[in-house]
Amino acid sequence: MAILEARNIGKTYGGVVALKDAGIHVEAGSVHALLGENGAGKSTLIKIMSGAVTPDRGRLLLNGQEVRFRDTGEAARQGVAIVSQELNLFPDLDVLANLYPVTGPRRGPFVDRAAMTEAAEPVLEQLGLKVSLRTRLGDLSLAQRQLVEIARALLTRPRVLILDEPTSALEQASADRLLNVVRVLREHEVGVVFVSHILEEVMALSDVITVLRNGQVVMEARERGTLSMQEVVTAMLGDRPAQEKGRTPLAASPVQAGDAEAAVRPAEGADRTAGTGGADGPVGRAGRAADGALRIVDAGAQGVLADVSLTVRPGEILGLAGLAGSGHQATLELVAGLRRVETGEVRLPSGRPVPRGLRRSIAAGVAVVSGDRRRFGLMLDKPIWENIAQVRAVALGRDGAFLRRTALRERARDHGERMSLRCASVDQRTGLLSGGNQQKVVLAKWLDANPSVLLLDDPTRGVDVGAKAEMHALIRSATEAGTVTLLCSTDVEELASLCDRVAVFYRGKVAATLAGDDLNQHRILEIMNTGQD
Amino acid sequence: MSVNDVGTEGTAAADAPNAPEGGPGRSPYGRAGDLARRVPAMESMSVLVATVALVVVIGVIHPDFLSAGQLLDMLQASVYVGLLAGGMAFLISMREIDLSVGSMFGLSLISMGLLINQGFSPWLAGLLGVLLGGVLGLINALVVQFIGIPTIVATLATLSVYRGLALALSEGQQVTGMPVDDSFFTILGGKVLGVQTSIWVLVAVTVLLTVVLRFTSFGYRVRAIGSNPDAATFSGISANRVRMQVLVLMGLLAGVAAALGLAFFTSGDPNIGTGFELQAIAAAVIGGTPLRGGTATVVGAVFGGILLAVVGSGLQYFNIPVNWSSFATGAVILLAVSLDSLLRRRRRRKDAELGL
Repeated sequence: MAILEARNIGKTYGGVVALKDAGIHVEAGSVHALLGENGAGKSTLIKIMSGAVTPDRGRLLLNGQEVRFRDTGEAARQGVAIVSQELNLFPDLDVLANLYPVTGPRRGPFVDRAAMTEAAEPVLEQLGLKVSLRTRLGDLSLAQRQLVEIARALLTRPRVLILDEPTSALEQASADRLLNVVRVLREHEVGVVFVSHILEEVMALSDVITVLRNGQVVMEARERGTLSMQEVVTAMLGDRPAQEKGRTPLAASPVQAGDAEAAVRPAEGADRTAGTGGADGPVGRAGRAADGALRIVDAGAQGVLADVSLTVRPGEILGLAGLAGSGHQATLELVAGLRRVETGEVRLPSGRPVPRGLRRSIAAGVAVVSGDRRRFGLMLDKPIWENIAQVRAVALGRDGAFLRRTALRERARDHGERMSLRCASVDQRTGLLSGGNQQKVVLAKWLDANPSVLLLDDPTRGVDVGAKAEMHALIRSATEAGTVTLLCSTDVEELASLCDRVAVFYRGKVAATLAGDDLNQHRILEIMNTGQD
Repeated sequence: MSVNDVGTEGTAAADAPNAPEGGPGRSPYGRAGDLARRVPAMESMSVLVATVALVVVIGVIHPDFLSAGQLLDMLQASVYVGLLAGGMAFLISMREIDLSVGSMFGLSLISMGLLINQGFSPWLAGLLGVLLGGVLGLINALVVQFIGIPTIVATLATLSVYRGLALALSEGQQVTGMPVDDSFFTILGGKVLGVQTSIWVLVAVTVLLTVVLRFTSFGYRVRAIGSNPDAATFSGISANRVRMQVLVLMGLLAGVAAALGLAFFTSGDPNIGTGFELQAIAAAVIGGTPLRGGTATVVGAVFGGILLAVVGSGLQYFNIPVNWSSFATGAVILLAVSLDSLLRRRRRRKDAELGL
């Protein structure tokens, strides 16, 4: 019998259906993988199971009894614990204190560290976490911290443990480590729900697999042994046809490529399979390379990247795909000057090697659009025009020492109109804009500096569907105006639909470069999970 | 306020506002501008109101307080803290605080006096003293950058180091025997057009700093760092370089204040300026520069300094026992900051209604 069962769950967020009719049943001592694309409803379902969200419809059964969790605390008391993506730990406290954040054993008014240690040591040992309980948590590695979080959950003696993306950083040893964790959980007769993007891991660890698509169960509790990875991918994506290129014709696009540079646009359909050999012809040290391409030649960094060679021409969007830590992001960091090029070389469109440090890279014409706009992108308390002026006028000082506010506002207004930015005026505080419009402001501030290389790191994170389409059109037209564009994204559909080519990384190397008919979500997902072309 | 409602998400390109600039259907991107441009002026509003109100209240009870001479004396007394507060506003707006400003002021002043006693021409000594202030600021910056500690910690140390140097160099004695007939003392310590020279300097520096903060890319960088340090770095702004520039500016301002002080007092006490750091921070905060950074008002900070001076001399008019003066000053600071907070909350409500 199932320990925890969810039946016919439905949940709607303000008109958007997250779950139509979903369910899952978790058995004791078994690992149940829950899979699905971004937006398939996985996180809503586990939030409902852990008490964070109340469902509109459906029932939750714990040991056959119907339950209703008011909050996560109540769920935890009843034995349903969750280890979430964001680590909920206190970096300045030691490991022991982190294991008992609220209710540790006490002796009178004092925390009973001896009793805590006694309870904690066997659990840590089982998990294979060999650190002193007095170690400051912040000094542990990410993997060790995740183990602490799992240990903390285990100490509450849960009957069901939900692991939400337990491996965000894929290391060589991570699968072994997780196998070990899962073994411990099985010994404790815990029912495990395992949510992950990383199919390879899922295939290695889980006993049964449930796949959600569009808020519905499309594959229910299939035994892992009977499935191939291909089948799982198909279940996740459905049999929808290979994605049409999301290349909006300029006329229909909300964006007008108003810049004069718009003329620089390579012929559509021309042979773009650029040779990865690199140095085609001599490149003058100072002079612009003949074709203005970004060249990455045999670039490497110890333990992160090896022998990466890519050439990207102006007007082209190259996608960088891969699981976390597989090197696609490191490649972006190389070009941004955030990571040192240890072997090989990276040459900007000017023909110069990429300088050391983000600041110099930016001055050399590199733009870095981060998906984390609240942290790295914007000054939320400032008006829109100040944000748009931040790179060219403020950081690079290209408009001279004295800045004319009217001119800056004028230019911001132009960008705003071109991007159909929805705001009351460019004097509006940026924090009041919706996520999609905020991200447009981030893009605008970089385009204002006329970059030759546009680096996009998950540029549509947390942006709704409509705004996403607009962002894509903007990225397209900015690229067609003559920039070299590199796109990292956690959204495989975005990679497949927006990019001209996608380089798929696996364990620090480019496993394949997909283009044309080869470029679809299935292929990307498969190669990033297996490394097999 | 506009056809394009704030925060609504639609995909239609049709609502892209394409009306030509200045035409009848002026672009919605340009509205609300007039209002927003008034906001900077309003930032220092509450301190202006508080200062004027306090002067009027004291004046009503003691009419002779309102004589031009008395008011000018009061302004003159506020010049030193006012200059330091102007620099402090820069620092606070980039989320930094310099605790060594009073000591830089003192050390510069003592050094000038000692140089003059060594036979240097007072003007040259004054210039060297101002430059010394800049060097002291640079030392602060280098300590922060190369030891890698917060500015407030580094300057907590140099607060003592610089004061200690002033005491050691002067052997704890007053530096006296200045050639008071020299033009340095008669001009900088005297009056121009009936107003103390130091007040003119304060006005000029206030205007200059305001222009730098509001209209130069340097000023924008300072505020960008305070608004979101990560985003500023990610946009290519070097926080280290900007911090160094501002700390040097702070030191130079302390040097200028010191030159004016020596010229006015015609002697140097090695303990002069003790506690100015807290007064300067208080003045900047009263003036409307929030500690969370991102914005600053030099005018407000200077008026904050003036308000503190008004309180100081007002207390004398009311014969308040000297032992109660700290209490009274603190109460006035609380009042001023509360008023500011109140006005700010009202303004934010209004802004929210306008969707600003």
